Amino acid sequence: MALFKRKDELPIPPGDAEKYTTVCQYCSAGCGYNVYVWPEDKNGSATANAFGVDLSKQGKLMSGFSYTETMHNVITRKNGKQYNLAVIPAKESRINKGDYSIRGGTNALTAYNPDGYTKKRLKDPLIRRENGFVPISWDDAVEIIATLTKSSIDKYGADSIAMKFYDHGSSGLGFEDNWAAGKFFLSGVKTSYLSIHNRPAYNSETWGTRERGMHELNYDVDDARLADTVVLWGANAYESATILYTEHIMPNLQGGSVADKKKAFDPGEPAAEGHIVIIDPRKNATVAVSQDIAADRVLHIRPNLGTDWILANAIARIIWENRWYDQEFLDKRTDMKTFGEYKQKSLQSGKPLATLLADAERITGVPKTQMQQAAEWMAKPKEGGFKRRTLTLFEKGIIWNMKNYDQVAAIAQLNVLGHNVGRVGTGCGRLGGHQEGYVRPPAPTPGSIHAGGPPKNVDKYITGGGGKIYWVGATDPYLSTPNSQFFRKSVKKRADALLDYLDNGGVPTEVKAYADKVLEAFEKTGGLFMIVQDMYMTHTAADAMMILPAAGWGEAVDTSINCHSRLLRIYDKFMDAPGEALPDWQILARIGNRIKALYETDGNKQMAERFGGMEWKSDAEVFEAGSKEFGDNKVAETEEAKLSPECYVGVTHDMLRKLGNEGIQTPVRRDPATGRLSGTKRRYTHSFASKDGLFKWYGTDPWTGYPAEVAKYQHNATYPFWFTTGRSQHVWQTMYHDRKIPEKYFTLPLPYVEIHPEDAGKLGMKSGDMVDVFNEEGSSTALVYVNDSTKPGLIFGIMYHAKGSMNHLISSYTDPKTTIPWYKGTKVGIRKYTGKPDEAIKTASLLANNDVSL
Amino acid sequence: KKQTRPGSKADYPSLKIGNSKTLKPNQPLTFNFPDRQSPCVLVKTGSEAIDGIGSQKDIVAFSSLCTHMGCPVTYSKGRLICKCHYSMFDVNRNGQTFQGLASQWIPQIVLREDPASGDIFAEGVQGLIYGRIGNLKVS
Repeated sequence: MALFKRKDELPIPPGDAEKYTTVCQYCSAGCGYNVYVWPEDKNGSATANAFGVDLSKQGKLMSGFSYTETMHNVITRKNGKQYNLAVIPAKESRINKGDYSIRGGTNALTAYNPDGYTKKRLKDPLIRRENGFVPISWDDAVEIIATLTKSSIDKYGADSIAMKFYDHGSSGLGFEDNWAAGKFFLSGVKTSYLSIHNRPAYNSETWGTRERGMHELNYDVDDARLADTVVLWGANAYESATILYTEHIMPNLQGGSVADKKKAFDPGEPAAEGHIVIIDPRKNATVAVSQDIAADRVLHIRPNLGTDWILANAIARIIWENRWYDQEFLDKRTDMKTFGEYKQKSLQSGKPLATLLADAERITGVPKTQMQQAAEWMAKPKEGGFKRRTLTLFEKGIIWNMKNYDQVAAIAQLNVLGHNVGRVGTGCGRLGGHQEGYVRPPAPTPGSIHAGGPPKNVDKYITGGGGKIYWVGATDPYLSTPNSQFFRKSVKKRADALLDYLDNGGVPTEVKAYADKVLEAFEKTGGLFMIVQDMYMTHTAADAMMILPAAGWGEAVDTSINCHSRLLRIYDKFMDAPGEALPDWQILARIGNRIKALYETDGNKQMAERFGGMEWKSDAEVFEAGSKEFGDNKVAETEEAKLSPECYVGVTHDMLRKLGNEGIQTPVRRDPATGRLSGTKRRYTHSFASKDGLFKWYGTDPWTGYPAEVAKYQHNATYPFWFTTGRSQHVWQTMYHDRKIPEKYFTLPLPYVEIHPEDAGKLGMKSGDMVDVFNEEGSSTALVYVNDSTKPGLIFGIMYHAKGSMNHLISSYTDPKTTIPWYKGTKVGIRKYTGKPDEAIKTASLLANNDVSL
Repeated sequence: KKQTRPGSKADYPSLKIGNSKTLKPNQPLTFNFPDRQSPCVLVKTGSEAIDGIGSQKDIVAFSSLCTHMGCPVTYSKGRLICKCHYSMFDVNRNGQTFQGLASQWIPQIVLREDPASGDIFAEGVQGLIYGRIGNLKVS
């Protein structure tokens, strides 16, 4: 029997099916999709249908039209009627051209269907009583939370409320929800204990480049096809931004974009098949696929964990020594007053080149021949003296590295040294994880330690007993935060203390009595009142006092931008949210408006005003309200650097509906000459985003070894392996949807580790075994895959999985400049699991996912 | 002879595609099923497979059109691999996509072995063949 029920035919949308445009809810690529909804009993035919495709014939390969088993579902609307739903990759989108990944291809399966895979959604507000969670009305939920929030601010101050909320687009509903969360927490509550979904503080992951005057989303997707060299630095593009790789980087490597290059380059400039430099400790699928295509044009560099900025500086030094830079560009566009510090500290101009390279080789473990090769492929001018065009994309391998700030800054500077930004085929920034959609009032910490920071660490505040209310929105920190075993234990203890106090004679059911008793508990215990807003029951929500059901992708109108073109599009609402679930902006607005009314009753005008401005009637109104935050966008093209990267002033939902999959690229300007709205294809062609428009250089720190939290393991034989983490092709974030979808959970049933064959031999382990991985922070149980992705001495683990987190092993160390954790480096011991192996392993493929040879 | 599979409205033909006595491990045979426009591959994998037939339950067959965008897949090292975008399907594990882009697992052909002769028949398809609205709905 097949592992799950398969389909061998699909319903056809009739010509008059409802049609919407949307964008995939998952990764940074932001592939365009078309959505069709039609009554179950009104199907079209093979020759007359809404797709406009003749379905009576066998489809041709690579036609750009796909309709598979995973692209269909049945939904039920509030009117009780059932409808077919098809979510199809858009051929007309220049991002994906009809292509799709294993994540996006299952968008339809995630739609709520009372009989479907994802039926177990949160449908009502829930409150925890003695015996577990029970549903309550929205009115009561709003009243309790508004009363507690207000009382807590009044009695203990704004910092008694701590929050951890998503700040992104796609799966997080973009500009609308982010503006509401900003109004509520930053303007209303005004707590300084803010944190972002995947980390313990409220910070940018890229202050290292932003404080240079270069935002990380500065390139266009076309640049990945037009670059002479693509650099992927700690960025596993094939598995985590799949369609950017297959539709843009891969054709470049294959030589499929040479004709486009000839058109886009300067007259006489050489145009050839692309090169790729992949800097990653693992030989992951991105490396394997690239090498299968063009082994002689792939350079794979595998630095020791935590050492990338030393490598970046060494490569920059080679470029400097060889004068592979444009002095005129440096003089005109960068702040040469700050260059001296860069030259001295980062390029270490006082040290002979040979000594510097020998030092760098010792620290990073990278042979200097590879540094030389990388420098040539990144910056050595082409025949005829034409500047090489290099696009460098970094992601969590850099962002979540030791010394976040210096790592990011070193890579940004290496690229600006070669003028690899603001030109066709260049750029330097993030590969991205999710899509974006940030608009909020100013944050209390504007920047790194060099610019008003660092921000406060909310995890340490909460685990240290700080705060009374902890509000978690669409994230599962029990899995995702560093040192998560300790975090979970600490939060649970405080949550239980609160519940124990409330349960002394029964948890009051009447709203005022309940709120009064919670306030009493705040006074008498160290208890924590946790509120979780989410689509599903999560690991963290199990310890919440209240859970608020949220609408997801497709259930509310959302606008977001992708990472590789800053392409703003509408992600339209095509179905109703289950039960009483509401979009996050509406939940926050209801509570904010109630707090405002409570302050008005008190006669406290000042506090009432803080919670003002949330009286929105529709999603379109929230979108427009947020746009005011960007200020005036009437600037000429040459002044685009003055605009916020996500500026969309003047754009409306209706306009985006008309633009569909075409969208418009932020920052959006109102052109002073024509008065028309205009998108921005590529950034920083004319100036940078600093006050004087010049790029600001910075001198990075020298190598001084590992932080104490990791250094303690270095010479301890109990923890012989280096350990790093990452993601897999299949599943998204905490697997909140994927844990329910058989195409995903049968293949990845358990958290896993990859072990090199040499180490596996010594340990007596094979693929399909289960192991405990441990250190002094905690332990994790995992399924073993033996393959040559890792190096001997290095173990890789999936960062987290619905059935367990590897962040148990990660220390609480954060970069002192930014409060960004080093999620991807520690040391561990490993032993064979002594329990009974999970039955699930029988269905999982154990084949090597980084071997693509025949 | 027509077969109606559980959960399917389609009537699949029964087609002789090989013989278990002559099949050699890891030497795939190609055939078309349920019609000439649908290339498939039959293989004896050498290890027990989900829905495998034969004495070692290691004989399986699959559509050889990648479910992602319809490119041909090649059998090697226990998996079907598509060189267009590098999707890989595990033939011992129900054709699951263990790497790559294909969100739909590759369709597994329902097989029957005649115990006396060793003849192998294709009699159904689990999953939708690429480029079709229904497995038996192509003109």
